[in-house]
Amino acid sequence: MRAVLRGLDLPLLLAILGLAALGMLTLYAALHQGDLSLWRKQGMVWVVGFALMLGMCFVPLRVFGLLTWPIYGLALLLLLAVPLVGEVHMGARRWLNLGLVVMQPSELMKWTLVFVLAHWFASREASQWRTVLVAVLLTALPAALIAKQPDLGTTLVLIFSATAMLIAAGLRWRVLAAALALAVALLPVIWHYMHDYQRQRVLTFLHPEADPLGAGYHVIQSTIAIGSGGLSGKGFLQGTQARLHFLPEQHTDFIFSVLAEEGGFLAACLLFALYTLLVFRVIAIAARAQNRFASMLCIGIASIFILYITVNVGMVSGLLPVVGIPLPFISYGGSALLTMLAAVGVVLRVGIEAHGHVPWQRPGSPLA
Amino acid sequence: MRNGLDVRRRFNLRLLFFYAATLGFFGLILAHLADMQLVKHKQYLLQSDRNRINVVPVLPERGMITDVAGRGLAVNRVAYQVLMIPERVTRREQVLRRLAEMLHWDEARVARLRKRIAHSRADRPVLLADRLPWGQVAPLAARLHHFSGIDVQANSYRYYPYGALTSHVVGYISLATAEDVARGYQANEFVGRAGAERAFEARLHGTPGARQEEVDAHGRRVAVLQRIPPKTGENVHLSLDVDLQRVAADALGARTGAVVVMDVQTGKLLVLLSRPGYDTNRFITGLEYAQWNAWLRDVRKPLVNRTIQAAYPPASTFKLVTALAGLRHHIPLATGSSFCPGYLQLADRKLRCWRHQGHGRVDLRKAIMQSCDVYFYELGDQLGMGRLAEEARRWGFGEKTGIILSPEARGNIPRVGSGRGRWYRGVTMISAIGQGAVTATPLQVARFAAAIANGGRLLRPQLDADAAPVVERIIDVAPAALQRVREAMRAVVAERKGTAYYALRHLPWHVAGKTGTAQVVAMRKREAKGASGYDPHKDHAWFMGFAPYEQPRIAFAVFVEHGGHGGSAAAPVAAAIIRAMAAHADQQGAGT
Repeated sequence: MRAVLRGLDLPLLLAILGLAALGMLTLYAALHQGDLSLWRKQGMVWVVGFALMLGMCFVPLRVFGLLTWPIYGLALLLLLAVPLVGEVHMGARRWLNLGLVVMQPSELMKWTLVFVLAHWFASREASQWRTVLVAVLLTALPAALIAKQPDLGTTLVLIFSATAMLIAAGLRWRVLAAALALAVALLPVIWHYMHDYQRQRVLTFLHPEADPLGAGYHVIQSTIAIGSGGLSGKGFLQGTQARLHFLPEQHTDFIFSVLAEEGGFLAACLLFALYTLLVFRVIAIAARAQNRFASMLCIGIASIFILYITVNVGMVSGLLPVVGIPLPFISYGGSALLTMLAAVGVVLRVGIEAHGHVPWQRPGSPLA
Repeated sequence: MRNGLDVRRRFNLRLLFFYAATLGFFGLILAHLADMQLVKHKQYLLQSDRNRINVVPVLPERGMITDVAGRGLAVNRVAYQVLMIPERVTRREQVLRRLAEMLHWDEARVARLRKRIAHSRADRPVLLADRLPWGQVAPLAARLHHFSGIDVQANSYRYYPYGALTSHVVGYISLATAEDVARGYQANEFVGRAGAERAFEARLHGTPGARQEEVDAHGRRVAVLQRIPPKTGENVHLSLDVDLQRVAADALGARTGAVVVMDVQTGKLLVLLSRPGYDTNRFITGLEYAQWNAWLRDVRKPLVNRTIQAAYPPASTFKLVTALAGLRHHIPLATGSSFCPGYLQLADRKLRCWRHQGHGRVDLRKAIMQSCDVYFYELGDQLGMGRLAEEARRWGFGEKTGIILSPEARGNIPRVGSGRGRWYRGVTMISAIGQGAVTATPLQVARFAAAIANGGRLLRPQLDADAAPVVERIIDVAPAALQRVREAMRAVVAERKGTAYYALRHLPWHVAGKTGTAQVVAMRKREAKGASGYDPHKDHAWFMGFAPYEQPRIAFAVFVEHGGHGGSAAAPVAAAIIRAMAAHADQQGAGT
């Protein structure tokens, strides 16, 4: 217990508390005219999630190391089951009814892949092509299954976090450059295999004005909300775009526009300061981790945070196409918040285990 | 495999890359946000305001039109609307039933309203009943708190208290058309369509205000942000005297015709009456197609303003023009005399005088007094059509008077040589007595009378009591010549043999005038006799002149379509007007 307390990374904890406060405040603004029970529910999730995060601090990393491969296999099986027995919501077959809970195997896979790759790279350098090939296969298999559901957002998360971990694991830059060039060359092929609604999203992103009341409406209204916020915003609960329901999905994916409208550029800066603190602490913990498995875990988790934040704010502000990705710690949504807090808990555990130890010097067994 | 330390150093370097990448990604997003929120802020703010702010025009109250004494000719009356906002009414059917009971709606109407509500937006007011007097809505208004979602609103409606009596002068308004909207009117606004309502539209209309409303994404009104009050239209004060107008109308009775009474000095119109009239209020309450059609098909053409829109042969009233031309051009006959045997032989044709037994020896005075045709055939013949037409134009015939009402007819004065072939002497002679191709509007005739009375000043007829009088031109006429004509006009009324003697004797004011009886030619016998003594075969009757003779105050023209003889049909109308005016002047004189 004392060891846990001593090793706890306070700045990271502070960042999470700050995000909790800012998130609940923004969520209140988004919900105050509608269903405030959702706001209370999210408050409960925060309490539970915080407990979960602190609970994770007591779980030795070795446990994850042991569980990684079986869970990966399970997640893969569930993904395979989706096309056979999955439930269709909004045109995509993503959900699996497990009797007690309805879940998305793709969500499970997202985090599992980070653990699997961390495990894989714990004892290997990505400068060897065999190591890279296995890592690519470990990623490509679930990515292809998820892309087929179709769930472009999660597929991108998988590819992005795998790429980040490959870079951390020592992938040569020229290989990366060659892969990127190949990806760009393959874009027309990807376009060919995309579903109509996905193509529509890309087109809408490129020309939101072409369809102001249809698919472009969300982006146009959220950019208006953000832009009209100005430097210091329209004031708490005073955002006209939010208050008068011009903003779509304002408590979930588009919640950033509520914050930016009512709090202005200053609130956006505050949010990104907290995010930067969060991500920097995760990288810093990766730097002093006791073994390479733990470092890789931290990098994988950090990459997911970076991607989520960038893609969500990018899409809400019209910089990127619309994909269903929530804003970490701010958007309404129980399971997403719980898993992210649990991930932060794992990072905190890495910090605790590293406390008083010398960082790893060479690749080694993840269970060492 | 490489050295372990080498691997660690590379990992540390890659961590630096991750720090940099984080800053890069977040920095890019923040730069984009700064561009939106700081650089392009104003533009986005404008868009968000445009999103939420709805500008609803608030219509101005239309100005009133009053007569010379301030009596309302076109006024605004308050009436009430019953509205329902469907989404706020919980038990709609029950509420409709109760409203039907209170407002005495029948089953068909309730069914219609039910349908209308079903087809309307639930958050916008639906009109259930319109133009209800207070007496009818009062019971509902008193119990309004029991009817949530039902509202009673006061609304202003145009009302013409004198209806058909002033229909052509005052005119009417109707809802804006697509063209009006293109000109900047609101779709629910009324626009002046005829008479003073149209002529003074710019003054009467006023300036719309606006209500800035905040609306949500569904178009629902959330709040009123700002009100810019509308500016009420200007009141227009007409020179018209509604009492006198009624006297003229009563004197005309059911007959078709026109009466114009003009101030001799200013050109202000005291009476501008065209009969039959039509009830202009019908346009406000929503004109039925059948009514409009009936007006259009009526042989008496009630929609035509006969004072300005219709030109008729001026008949013998035009002899004054011939007389003035004769005097101006020093035609010997004008100062000499001729002999009237009852006709004039022109080659193989006989041009008849209206008095078949003839007038004997006639000079200018007697020819005007007894309206001898033969004398004026000869005078016209000696003048020629050119000089006759020129004189007519000098006195304002063949041109628009410039009255503010429209459309105005020009009347016709023939141009010599403009027609095909030769100009016949006979045509000139017929023109000299105001028949044939010569036509004039009653307003032109009245203005002519005023110019004779005021010494040759051709006035612009005006309806606006407050406008400065306008003299179109001063006609160059020898005072002696004018006096000769005036004296002859006086004789028409004053002497026992004058054509208007019987109608106008025993009047408090001395009247000078000229009768006219226009032959109606080539009327088909098939055209049936109208309901109210309208006989399309009878002649048109004219009487024009001025009074008092010594110090002229008013000039007038009375025209009775198919009325018969000027002296017996038209002159009595003038007599009634002059009697009323004199009585009024006496009252005022006694009062001061």
